[in-house]
Amino acid sequence: SAAARRPWKLYGAMCLLRLPRITQPLEKEEEEVAALMEQIELEKSHYSDHEIRKLEEEERLKRKRESLYDEDDAHGKAVIMAQDLEEKWEQKFLQFKAAPRITDADKSNDRTSLNRKLDSNLMLLVKQKIGNQELWLLPQVEWQPGETLRSTAERAMATFLGDHIQAKVLGNAPYGIYKYKFPKAIRIENNVGAKVFFFKAFLQSSDLSQAELKADYLWVTKKELGDYLKLEYLKKVNRFLLD
Amino acid sequence: PCRAQPKKKKKVDVKKEQAQKERMKKKLKKLEKAAPELIPIEDFITPLKYSESNRVRSLPTLSPEESERRVLLLKKWCLFKQKQDEAEKKAIKALVESQQEALKELRLESEELFQAAIRRDEGLFPFERDGPRYTPPLPGYDPPEGKCTDITKVYTQ
Repeated sequence: SAAARRPWKLYGAMCLLRLPRITQPLEKEEEEVAALMEQIELEKSHYSDHEIRKLEEEERLKRKRESLYDEDDAHGKAVIMAQDLEEKWEQKFLQFKAAPRITDADKSNDRTSLNRKLDSNLMLLVKQKIGNQELWLLPQVEWQPGETLRSTAERAMATFLGDHIQAKVLGNAPYGIYKYKFPKAIRIENNVGAKVFFFKAFLQSSDLSQAELKADYLWVTKKELGDYLKLEYLKKVNRFLLD
Repeated sequence: PCRAQPKKKKKVDVKKEQAQKERMKKKLKKLEKAAPELIPIEDFITPLKYSESNRVRSLPTLSPEESERRVLLLKKWCLFKQKQDEAEKKAIKALVESQQEALKELRLESEELFQAAIRRDEGLFPFERDGPRYTPPLPGYDPPEGKCTDITKVYTQ
C-alpha cells in the first residue's frame, strides 16, 4: 500500500461494557398499564380448578355451620382445604429471601466494583498519561503497523485487564472516532494530531478477580461519564452509547 | 411321463404369486395417495369441561368512571410508547452516523485498514446472552430437588 504522508497518529480504544444483570424498574405509566392488563385478563377469564375447589369448600363450610347436624364429619377428618394450601404456599414464599437489587457497592458508591448499578451498562475507564497530562480515558494504545484496528483495541483491553479477559467484540468496524490536534508546541510536519478509533465489546466473564489491573480504573454508567471525561471526548463517546 | 405336471404347477404358482404381489402393491399405492391425517393442535381445542356454566366469573359490572379511566390510560400509553419508539430510532440513527463518520476517517487514513474493518465478523452471530432477571443471583443458593416428567402426546402421521 502506498505509504502516503500520514500526519495522524492512530490509536485503537476499547469501550468494554458490562451488560445489566437485572431488569430496570418500570416507569409509572408502565406499572399502571400492567395493572390494567392484569385486571382485564382476570375479568375475561373463567374459574380455574383451584378456585372451583375453593368455592365448593366454602359452600360446604357454610352449610355445615347452618345445618345443625354435621353430615360430613362422619367420613374423613383430615381433609386439606384449598385455603390451607394457599396459606402454606404463602409461608414458603415468605421464607425465601432473594438477593437484593441494590447491592453494598451501590450504597457505598464504590466505583471500582462491578457489582454496582446492576440494572444499567457499566464501562471501563482507565487513567492514562497523554503528553504530560494524566487523563481518564477509555483504554487505548497506539496502532502498530501490521495489525488491524480491532486487534489494537483488543490489545488495549489486554494491556489493562490481563490476557484472560473474555469479551465479545461487536464486529470489525469502529463505532466512533475522536480526532484531535496536538498543541502547537509539539506539532511537527508529519505529526499533526491523533485519531482515536473506538470499538465496543461486551464483557462475558463475570468476575475479574484474576485480572491484574495495572492502572487506576473505574466502572461507570453513561450518566457518570461526564464526571471524568473531557467535553469534546465525551461528546464523541456519547454518540455510540445506547442508554 | 410324470415330469411335465410338476413343471406346470411351478409355473402357475409363480405366475399367481406375481399377480398377488402386484395387486398388493397397487393397494399400497392407493393408500399412500390418500391425504395424511392432520395432527390435532392441542392448544386450539378447548376441553369441554372449561365451557361449563358454573365456570363463569361473577364480577360487578364496570362503572362509567372506571371505563373512562381505562380509555384515558390507554391513550396515555399510546403516547408513551410512541415517544419511546422515537427515542430508540433516534439513538440507532446516531449510532449509525457515528460509525459512518469513523469509517470515512479510516478510509482517509489507509485503504487496507478500511477493508479489514468492513469485513464481516464471522464469530459474532449466533450471539447468545443470559437475559437480565428481576434479582441478581444469590451466591450459595441450593435449589430444591425434583423430577420433571414430560407428558406431551406425540402423534405420528
